[in-house]
Amino acid sequence: MVFLDPTAILDIFLIGLSGTLICLAVHFIPVGGAPAAMAQATGVGTGTVELAAGSGLVGLITASYMYAYEPSADAFLVMAAGAMGAAIMLASTMFAGSLIYAYGVAVPFASAQVKRDPITGDRQDIYMSKGTQGQGIPTICFVSGIIGAALGGAGGGLIYFVLMSYYTPLITTHAAAVAGVFTMGVFYVNSVIPSYGVGGTIEGVHDPKFKRVVPKDVFTSAVVSMICGIVAILIAGGMTV
Amino acid sequence: MVLDLTMSMAVLALLGALATIAGCLEDLESDVGSQSNPNSQVQLAPQMNFLHRIYNKAISGEPISNGMSAVISGTVATVLLNAKFYPLTAIALGALVGAIVLGIFATTSYAGRVASQARFKQPLYMDIMRYTTPSIIAHNFIVNFCLVAIAYIQFEVLGYPFTIPFLALIWGISAGAIGSSVGDVHYGGEREFQNREFGCGLNTALSGRIIRRAESGLRNSIDNVWFCAKFGGPATGIALGLTVFLSSWPTTIWGYTWTAIGVGALIVVVMAVMNRLIEINVKNAYGPYKEDKEEKEARA
Repeated sequence: MVFLDPTAILDIFLIGLSGTLICLAVHFIPVGGAPAAMAQATGVGTGTVELAAGSGLVGLITASYMYAYEPSADAFLVMAAGAMGAAIMLASTMFAGSLIYAYGVAVPFASAQVKRDPITGDRQDIYMSKGTQGQGIPTICFVSGIIGAALGGAGGGLIYFVLMSYYTPLITTHAAAVAGVFTMGVFYVNSVIPSYGVGGTIEGVHDPKFKRVVPKDVFTSAVVSMICGIVAILIAGGMTV
Repeated sequence: MVLDLTMSMAVLALLGALATIAGCLEDLESDVGSQSNPNSQVQLAPQMNFLHRIYNKAISGEPISNGMSAVISGTVATVLLNAKFYPLTAIALGALVGAIVLGIFATTSYAGRVASQARFKQPLYMDIMRYTTPSIIAHNFIVNFCLVAIAYIQFEVLGYPFTIPFLALIWGISAGAIGSSVGDVHYGGEREFQNREFGCGLNTALSGRIIRRAESGLRNSIDNVWFCAKFGGPATGIALGLTVFLSSWPTTIWGYTWTAIGVGALIVVVMAVMNRLIEINVKNAYGPYKEDKEEKEARA
């Protein structure tokens, strides 16, 4: 029985852990949804799934390249490569987004959830324009977003590492393709779960929603990701060299 | 394939340039077709009695529709490469097929969305469909060409473990995510509500009250893309170009080591500092909207 194999159990647990990391990561990323696209809410003007998956997948590319060309790379180095790729993608996006908010739309950055930015100490409430829930990407949101992207990229890197170790002896040449597609699937599953929890928008770690929804979402994600892990091991049953 | 450092940097620069063009055109494609979050205002406008001549496609979320056309292009290009076509021909033909599929989706989506608004008397303008759809296809063709070219270089020249269609899918999704996060704000936050004073903020009560008059005549999506090409598009291109370039640059120079990871972290910190500088600059430029209550009380 494949599930009684200690390696398989460890792999399922690690995939569960990776999925949970991705789910946690999404809560850190400041997404304002449609209102933010009109500068009517703080954060990046897109959806949680779009941004989390978009950044995580760039992390997957950097992690997979690291795995392919550094044979001695351990799981931590592959995770770090994923974290680096995802964080750079989100940092570039938020920086370019800030340019648009500042010089294209012309709104000062302000968070609607805190009176003062916990990092810079800047007042936020007096910069909020009338009839909005804040606007732009203040420093706390930027830093929170980078942490989130790094966590997501690391989670993606770990899933890829685990699946590659499992699939490579079974299907040598196509292992990367199967592992990559499966990692992408786990990314989407774990980006959607927090979307329900946060109701489509969250400012980041300082948002009161963060503390309220993280425990429930993380628990859900752990269960769902372990089911994904079981499926990942199950499909290996039909693989031959 | 193992390249020396000079060639590696040349290839990386080419990837960055292709990504910059792809990002810019991706955003402009979403502006000319009106997709993603700002399209909520175009969709809402007829309900507020603001009938308009803006294209309204919104096939799906921008990353997904963009990923779809990119992966179709990548798949067709791979088939043609296996049939011994020249790489440039294969990529161009693949990009064309992907763009045409997106054009079909755009047409059905526009007709479907406007038909669903019949009760609000929003007309379906056939002239808008006739001359905007080819523009959507043209923009998307360039995006697909650049993204599949990136995927081809990464797979064939740099030896990435993923195949061309999968790499094209990932870059398509990422380009869509960046376009949705960066350039669309210029379209949604500024162009759709350009009659407001610059820097005054955008009250949610204005939702759906989009501008329908152009610099000359009635505004359509071609007018919108003309405006967004000045800032929103290029900014998106810079974001995608930086992503592609900077995510590979540390490992190209320092190899697959912790040093490269450290340099990547340093890049992120530098961007955070630059964001802070913009924040300070914009706060000084436009000032607070409300008077500080504590200061007011102290003065009294």
